[in-house]
This record gives sequence, structure tokens and C-alpha cells, in this order.
Amino acid sequence: MKDLIYLTYSEIKTKLNDGSLKSTDLVSAYIKRIETADSKVKAFLEFNKEQILKQATESDERRKSGKLFSEFDGIPIGIKDNICITGQITSCSSRILENFRSPYDASVIQKLKDKGFVLFPRLNMDEFAMGSSTENSAFQTTRNPFDTNRIPGGSSGGSAAAVAASMLPVSLGSDTGGSIRQPAALCGIWGLKPTYGRVSRYGLIAYASSLDQIGPFSNDLQGISDLMEIISGLDHKDQTTAKVAAFEANSVSSIDWKGKRIGVMKSEDFSFSPDVNKRYAEILKTLESKGATLVPLDFSLLKYAIPVYYLIATAECSSNLSRFDGIRYGLRKDGAGKLEDLYSESRTAGFGPEVKRRILLGTFSLSSGYYDAYYGKAQKARVLIRKQYAEFFKKVDIIFQPTSPTTAFKVGEKTKDPIQMYQADILTTSVNLAGVPAISCPAGLDSTGLPIGLQITSSHFDESKLLSYAKSVSELEVCKLTLPTEIA
Amino acid sequence: MDEKELKNIAHLAKLNIEDKEVSSMLNDFSRIVQYVDEIKNLDTTSVGDDEIYEQIFYELRKDLAENALKRDDLAKIAPAYENGYVVVPKVIET
Repeated sequence: MKDLIYLTYSEIKTKLNDGSLKSTDLVSAYIKRIETADSKVKAFLEFNKEQILKQATESDERRKSGKLFSEFDGIPIGIKDNICITGQITSCSSRILENFRSPYDASVIQKLKDKGFVLFPRLNMDEFAMGSSTENSAFQTTRNPFDTNRIPGGSSGGSAAAVAASMLPVSLGSDTGGSIRQPAALCGIWGLKPTYGRVSRYGLIAYASSLDQIGPFSNDLQGISDLMEIISGLDHKDQTTAKVAAFEANSVSSIDWKGKRIGVMKSEDFSFSPDVNKRYAEILKTLESKGATLVPLDFSLLKYAIPVYYLIATAECSSNLSRFDGIRYGLRKDGAGKLEDLYSESRTAGFGPEVKRRILLGTFSLSSGYYDAYYGKAQKARVLIRKQYAEFFKKVDIIFQPTSPTTAFKVGEKTKDPIQMYQADILTTSVNLAGVPAISCPAGLDSTGLPIGLQITSSHFDESKLLSYAKSVSELEVCKLTLPTEIA
Repeated sequence: MDEKELKNIAHLAKLNIEDKEVSSMLNDFSRIVQYVDEIKNLDTTSVGDDEIYEQIFYELRKDLAENALKRDDLAKIAPAYENGYVVVPKVIET
């Protein structure tokens, strides 16, 4: 029999419901895996064995007595350390929130608890979700399960690595500029950024409120569809959630490629690593052979996406993170009795270098004399990017791009140069600026055995179409890959 | 961007910059500003001021009383708690 930890999400769901698998047995297998593999991967900041097993035992008892919460009862799920769970520490991988315990559940957590999921907090991340490699965590650097000398991507690196290392079947992350899709791509798993407004942000510690969305990671596509149905929907605790028709997982079905108009990048715009270029070209060729029509799109406006993203995201972060003042939350320095010094000493000691850089850039672009040239200009540029996507979707059904310009890079390779690190998000940030949904699908391995990701983007609130295309991609031979069993 | 300007921004952001950090921060910051300066090449004159507000789907919630956080639960997570109050440093200077 296949070791329990290598079951896909779908297999787990089936086995739990046909009575051939107990949640406690599954959870015990994952705990054993975490105890051996996580010393190398370092995905977990903390995990409480007793608390996790207690949830699994309760689920098995519910199942035994016929009082199941749902068909998902007993399924384990990992939680990124910026999503609040009552009574648990939620640190955002930052010293400033090292000891902060949440007094309430995020709306997504409440929904998972209502369905009987077994929660596995706390997965490592770049501090306050600011980064593309999980090297900006104040506590530890998460490693890529395919090669532990390499980064897992970021900022939701812990959530991605835990699934890729078979320590969990599914997890939740958050995506502000690519923080779900890029680590999903670099770790060879599925990761979805929903349409802005699909999923409640209540209880997600804010980085950039107009861009942040919570979304799922999974070792198969069914996990993405199911979690999307569970966590999405109008929430009166988050006024930016949209009143739109609910997403239903059973609306996802394979598509016939024939006659589909697929928006693609022009070959002269392929400025990615040779292996990524090659795989992207192979996928497009396969789709064409199946009858799809490739429509090259002009992505030239999107070269502004990273500057626009950094101006808008940092402006919002400088405002959002002003609440961390040493008075109400976390770390406090005494400031020798002076209030102003208490603020600045607490913040200086509590935030890491990248968070400080972004707060400074945001403060700068919002400051008198620079506002119009930077923040105001970036807001207008964002409108153009949003309109660009609307134009694209008049011409095509869907857009296919690589998720990341390279496969996983080495730990330390880009930490000295913030701009080089920002470039890792070149294909993902424009999606957040436009608010549209996008998924990263596994797209096979490169010549050195590292995963490649394919990003599919659809129009607003069209997750059914997006995931239907993703389902068809999952059936392509060229996109198949196997997650590593040995972690080295 | 010079040292004086950087320190002013840091003051507004309530962050301290040590003297030994100034040159590397100035260097990083200048490069980042130079990088984002690229947006100046983009013509945005076609975008009206009112267009920056995205299409919204707001729905107001009903004005109903709901259970709020319980005082005892808050007491358990507060760093310091006395006689029904969360203890914080003095924030009014005289």
C-alpha cells in the first residue's frame, strides 16, 4: 500500500469517506513525516502535536457516531502564519508579533473549522508577506523540498514547501504580488490566487489591502476547487468581499481545446531561463496540436507592473503597519520613558530590513512633494493595467504564461540585491493589480530536476473557467511531475 | 535622496536609522527609487482621477448586535491586565 503521506488530496477525501482511512492514522503519518523531514525543509514555525491529534480524534469520533460536519471532516490543512486562529500565535514571521495571540478566528478559519478540517498552524513566510524566497522570515529560511540548497519561493514558502514535501495535502497562503503562485511554481504544486473580493480578508494580517487575497495550495487540482468553494463568499466582516454568484467546485470540468483562443506571450518576449522558455514553447505547441488557437498578446505595458506594484503595495503597507507601535501589539521597547522613542525603538527592533525598506518607500511615495509623481501616478498606471486585461479578454478566452521567469534559485543568491529579488515577481504582480484570478499549475521539471510552473489567468470571478482549463492542463503529459519522497 | 531626506522619511515612519546603516540604506533606496521612476515614462493622461476607484460590490450589513470578544478571553492574551483593563504605557505626555 502507498504510504499515507503520498496520497493525493482526492485520494484522502475518498478514503476518509468510504471508511478505509481514519483521520488519526493520516494525521499521525504526517506528524511523523514532519518530525523527520522538517528539520531539513523548515516549513513549520511551530506545530502542536497534541492539539493536532485532538482535532483528528474528534473528527474520527464524529464520523463514528454519524455526526460528520461535512465530507471534508478530518482532512489536514496547513495555515500560513498571517491568518489568525483563536488563541494561537500569529506572528507573520516577525519579531514584532512574536508573542501575539489572536483573540479571534479569521473568516476562512471559521469556515474550515465548521467543515471539520484538522488545522496545522503555523507555516513560515517572508516577514509580513514581503518577499519572494521566504528568506525574509525573522525566524528561519524555508528550503525547497526538491533541493534544500534552494529557496521554495515566497512569501508563502512554508505553505508551499509543506505540501511539496508531503507533510500535508493542502494549505492556505496569501497572495499580494505572487506569494501563492510563485512558491507553488517553484515547489511543483497547485496554487490559486482568487479574484480580489472572492475570499474574505477578515483575520488576514494586512500587508497591502487592495491586493491581498487568501488562496489554497494543493497536491492536486481537486483540493484547489474544493477549498475555493469552502473559503469564498460574501462576508460582512470584510466590506471588500463581492456579492457575486458562489463558486461551485462541481462547475469545473475538462475543456475541449478545439477552437479555444489562448492569449500567449510573443516569442521575442520570452526572456526567461532557457528551460522555462523551452517548456512554455512545448506546452503552447501541444495546445496548438490539440486545436487551440494561440493569440500573441502585447504585454509591453506590463513591464510597468513591478514599479507600480511596489509603489502601491508599499504605500498601503506603510499605513497598515503603522498600527505596530509597541503600545498595543507585540514587541515593546521602553524608549527611556519618551513616547516617540518607544514607538521608533519598538518598530526598529521589531521589523526586519525588507519590511523597513518597504515602509520607507511607502512613506516616501505618500509624502508631501512626491505623492502625485509616485503614488498618484502609480494609481493611474494601475487603471491602465486593469483596462489592458479587459482588452485582452475581449480577444482571448484565457491567458497562459510561465509563473516564474526561472526555477528555484539558491539560498542567498538574491538577498543582497532587492531589485533582483523584486524581478522574481515579473509575471505575477500585474494579476494582483488588475484583481483577476490566476493559478499556477505544475508544468514538469527542468533539466536539473526543479519544477516549472504555468500561470493561467482568467477574467474577474471566472474561477470556474480558470480551473476547467487547469484541469485540462493537468491531463497533459508534458506537465506531469512527481513530488520528491527523499528530502536532500 | 540624501542623508537628511532619508532621515526625515525614517522619522515620519517612526524608524531609527543608525549612522552605520545610512550609506547602504541610501544606496538601496536610491536604486529602488530609480527603478520605480520608470513609471514616469508611462503616459497616464487618459486616466481620469475618478477612475482609480475600482468597481465595487459593497453591501452594507444589517445593523444587528452580535457577540463581541469576551473580556475574559482578552485578559488571557493581553501582555498585562489589571482590574478589568489592559495595561499599556503612558501615551499622553504632559
